[in-house]
Amino acid sequence: MKLRLAVLWIAVGIPLAWGVFKTLQNAMKLFQ
Amino acid sequence: MSYTFFDRESTIAGPGFNRFMVPPAALAVHLCIGQAYAFSTFNLPLTKLIGLSQSAPGDWNLKELGWIFSIAIVFLGSSAAVFGRWVERVGPRKSMFVAALCFGGGFLVSAVGIRLHQLWIIYLGYGVLGGCGLGIGYISPVSTLIKWFPDRPGMATGMAIMGFGGGALIAAPLSVLLMANFKTATSNGVLETFVTMGVIYFMFMMIGVLSVRVPADDWKPSGWTAPAKPKQLVTTANVAVDQAWRTPQFWLLWVVLCMNVTAGIGVLGQASPMIQEMFPGKVTAPAAAGFVGLISLFNMIGRFFWASTSDYIGRRNTYMVFFLLGIVLYAAVPTTGHIGSTALFVAAFCVILSMYGGGFATIPAYLRDMFGTYQVGAIHGRLLTAWSVAGVLGPVLVNYIRQYQIDNGVPKAQAYSITMYIMCGLLLIGFLCNFAMRAVKANYYYHAPAAPQRAPA
Repeated sequence: MKLRLAVLWIAVGIPLAWGVFKTLQNAMKLFQ
Repeated sequence: MSYTFFDRESTIAGPGFNRFMVPPAALAVHLCIGQAYAFSTFNLPLTKLIGLSQSAPGDWNLKELGWIFSIAIVFLGSSAAVFGRWVERVGPRKSMFVAALCFGGGFLVSAVGIRLHQLWIIYLGYGVLGGCGLGIGYISPVSTLIKWFPDRPGMATGMAIMGFGGGALIAAPLSVLLMANFKTATSNGVLETFVTMGVIYFMFMMIGVLSVRVPADDWKPSGWTAPAKPKQLVTTANVAVDQAWRTPQFWLLWVVLCMNVTAGIGVLGQASPMIQEMFPGKVTAPAAAGFVGLISLFNMIGRFFWASTSDYIGRRNTYMVFFLLGIVLYAAVPTTGHIGSTALFVAAFCVILSMYGGGFATIPAYLRDMFGTYQVGAIHGRLLTAWSVAGVLGPVLVNYIRQYQIDNGVPKAQAYSITMYIMCGLLLIGFLCNFAMRAVKANYYYHAPAAPQRAPA
C-alpha cells in the first residue's frame, strides 16, 4: 500500500513540479 | 447483486485503505482539465493553419477563436449543474471515466475540425464535449474527498482544486513543446498536438479512475470523533440539492463566488497588456509573460493555502479576508501605477490571484458546512454556474471599461483605475452577502426515508 501511495504521488507530482519549474523560469524574465 | 468495475459499490474501500491515495486520484483529473486555462496557447497557431508563418485569407481570426474557450466555460458550469446529482449517484469512478472520455474526446474531435478546417467542429469538440468533461471532472472527486477528510475538508478539496490551477502551468509549456516538435514545412503542428494531448490526458485521467475509492458509510478517520458541539455555521444535518437551491444561503454563496471570481478572472485575462500599459517602457512583453506565469502560480498556491487555512479560521472568516483584503489591494493598484512601483503592483496581484484561487478551493468546504455531505457534489455543481457568469462578466468589465476610458481620452496608463474601483465595489457586494450568511433553517433538512417496518408475525 505504501509503495502504491508513493507511486501515485510521484505520478502527479512530477508533471506538477515540471509545470511549476517552467513557470518560475518564465517568471524570472519579470525580474531581469 | 453483481456490480461492474465502474459502479460506486465496486469502489468502496476495504479496511486499511490509506485515505491519502484519494487526493492524487483527484489531482490526476484536475491537473488535466486545468489545461483549459492555457487554451490561449493555441489561439495564435490556430490563426495560421493555412498561412503557416502568418494568417492567410480563409484563416480563422482571434475573435472567432475566442468563442472556443467561452463555450467550454459555459458548458463547464452547465454540465456541472445538470450532471451533479448523477455524479453523486454513480460515484467518482464512473463520473471520472465519463469526464476522461469527454475531455480527451473533445481534443480528438477538435483535431478533426482542424483537419477539415471547420471551426464549428472545434466549438462542438473542445467547447461542448470538452466543456462537459471539464464540468463533470471538476465536481467528480469533491464530495468523495469531503467524505474521506471530515476532519480537514478544506485541505482535501484545496489539494484537488489546486490541481486545476496547476494544470495550466503544465499545459502551457507542454503545448508549446509539442507544437515545436510536430512542426513541419506543411504543418504548424497544432493538429498533431491536439491528438497527442487528447490521448495523454485520457490516459492520465485514467490514473484517477483506477485509483479512486469511496469510504464505507460508517467509516471515520482513526482516532477522530465528530465534535460534540459543532462550530458556528457548521451543520451536522444534510440538505438535498433540490432543497438547497431554494435556500437564501445557496444564493448568497452564489453571489459570494461570482463576485470573487469576477474580480479575479477579468484581471487574469488582461494581466499582460495591463502591466505593460500601466508601466510603459518599464515592462517588456517577455517580462509581462513572466508576470502572467507568476500570478498563475499564486492562483495555484492560493487554492491549497487558503482552503487549508479555512479549516482553522472558518469558511466565513476566510471569505471575509478575501473581500476586505481584496478591496484594499484593488484600491491600492492605481497608486502603485502612479508611483511607478512595479514591485508593489506585482505583489498586490500575486495576493489578489491567490485569493481568486482560494475562493474556488474553499467553496466546496463552505457548502459542506452549510448543507452537509449528502449531496454536496451536486450542490457544488449548481453553484459553479456562478463561474460561468463571472467568466463572461469579468473580462467584459475589464475590457469594455478600459476601451471606454481610452476612447474618452484617458491615457492608457490610467485606463485601469476605474476598473479597479469597480472591482472594489463587486468585492463589497460579496462581503455583504458573506456577512449575511446564517445557518440553514431546519425545515430544509433532508430526512432519510424510514426503513419499512415489518408486520408482526
